[in-house]
Amino acid sequence: MKRIILPLIAMFFVSNLVAQQDSKPSKTQFMIRGYGSAGFQALNDEGEKESSFNNGTFAPIILFKFSDKFMFETEMEFAYENGELETALEYANAMYTVNKYITIRAGKFLLPYGTFMERLHPSWINKLSSVPLGFGHDGITPSSGVGVELRGAFILNGSRFNYALYSTNGPTLNDGNDEPEEAGILHFDNYEDNNKNKSVGGRIGFLPFTDSSTEVGFSFLNAKVGDKDSNYKDVSSNLIAYDFSFVKKVNSLGGIIDIKAQYNTSVTDDANYIEVHEDGDEEEYTFENSSDSFYAQLSFKPTMSASNFLKNIELVGRYSELNTPEGAEWESNVNQTAFGVNYWLSWRSAIKVNYQITDGTGGHGGGRIDNKIFTIQWAFGI
Amino acid sequence: MKTFKIVSIIGFISFATISCSPERATIVQGKSGVQLWSETCMRCHNTPSPADFNDADWSTIEMHMRVRANLTADESKKIFDFLRSAN
Ligand code: HEC
Repeated sequence: MKRIILPLIAMFFVSNLVAQQDSKPSKTQFMIRGYGSAGFQALNDEGEKESSFNNGTFAPIILFKFSDKFMFETEMEFAYENGELETALEYANAMYTVNKYITIRAGKFLLPYGTFMERLHPSWINKLSSVPLGFGHDGITPSSGVGVELRGAFILNGSRFNYALYSTNGPTLNDGNDEPEEAGILHFDNYEDNNKNKSVGGRIGFLPFTDSSTEVGFSFLNAKVGDKDSNYKDVSSNLIAYDFSFVKKVNSLGGIIDIKAQYNTSVTDDANYIEVHEDGDEEEYTFENSSDSFYAQLSFKPTMSASNFLKNIELVGRYSELNTPEGAEWESNVNQTAFGVNYWLSWRSAIKVNYQITDGTGGHGGGRIDNKIFTIQWAFGI
Repeated sequence: MKTFKIVSIIGFISFATISCSPERATIVQGKSGVQLWSETCMRCHNTPSPADFNDADWSTIEMHMRVRANLTADESKKIFDFLRSAN
């Protein structure tokens, strides 16, 4: 896939340069946008301290609009992690507006599963430098998928609704054959399907007030997740998310109040997995494979302040938690509280100073999790 | 869990139905591009100013946001017509 995307990008660059030499306005439009971040962090992990400059990421986005109805978007992500440059294709899809109410998308797209991944994760939008528990690596929520989607929005007697319905390759179950400690975990990033069954998912959003301040959403994703040639072929997963958003300029407080929340559940059919003991003996075990996670975030920006400095300050607090199945090798119960002060340099660029406390049990080490992390991040959109 | 799901879906639909009314429809339809711009964009990120982009770029962004942010066709047209007229 990467091999196809890189030449495509090069081609777009060239065609854009050629197009610019022509003085007539062109119908096709091309735009490079994107975002990046750079930062510093100091970590105190159960008393062990370390600090480093890190979090260097850069994510160019290319938008190519062919006509008023047809557009292509792609985002690549470059991250410098543990001394290595990692690249990923976040999304690459074509979208076509069928009519006022329906747009069809095909390719790899961010999934409208709740709102965090699709709408809020880019570093210049996310008000904290980390993602809440339950999202991203080791998370229980999907972020993108390869498939097709129908989406749109409409107003019914004064209330706004929006919807998305998609079918993608869907998550796959880690049956523990290669990684026994991950038996029962779902993996979400799949270019190829492991079975014939496509996942079906969607979201419906509803904005009950005329000023669009509030939105509630309900999302689901259903899929068979087991490998078609294995004992796990009939294992299905059922994921559900509820999201909430409230953003409003409150005159009496002198600024913008922003509340975001999302609750995710993931239930996978029971299955038997194999545990290999140190002496080589194998033992079958099972557990109730259900996980959930939650986050709520509150922020305030005194946009009506007379001081230019205060106007650009934003205060944010977020609580999140993640609970993975009891009895699984990856059982964990973790909660996290994060606070931040942001200074906005422009509408798409901020310096974020965060302090985050994570507490709980489980995770990869299986023991206690107790860490405090202080970060300074510069996030920018281009 | 099943009952919780059913109850929340029914709750959602009935809440949605009750909240729809012809008076509200008039308020929503009467909103201008500026008004919608000041209410809509901040739901997800800071609100860009008209001068941040030129007309051609606003048109590309219009389609991108209409699809990504799931805006209605009529409202996004009003908002982006305003942004193009005021930059
Ligand atoms: C429902 C959430 C949401 C709403 C509402 C929204 N945006 Fe966005 N916007 C996004 C996201 C997410 C991105 C980042 C896209 C990416 O990086 O993939 C973005 C990016 C942008 C960008 C950067 C260029 C681009 O197209 O990626 C501009 C400009 C922008 N939005 C303008 C607007 C304007 C103007 C409005 C108000 C009409 C608006 N947005 C409303 C979610 C939203």
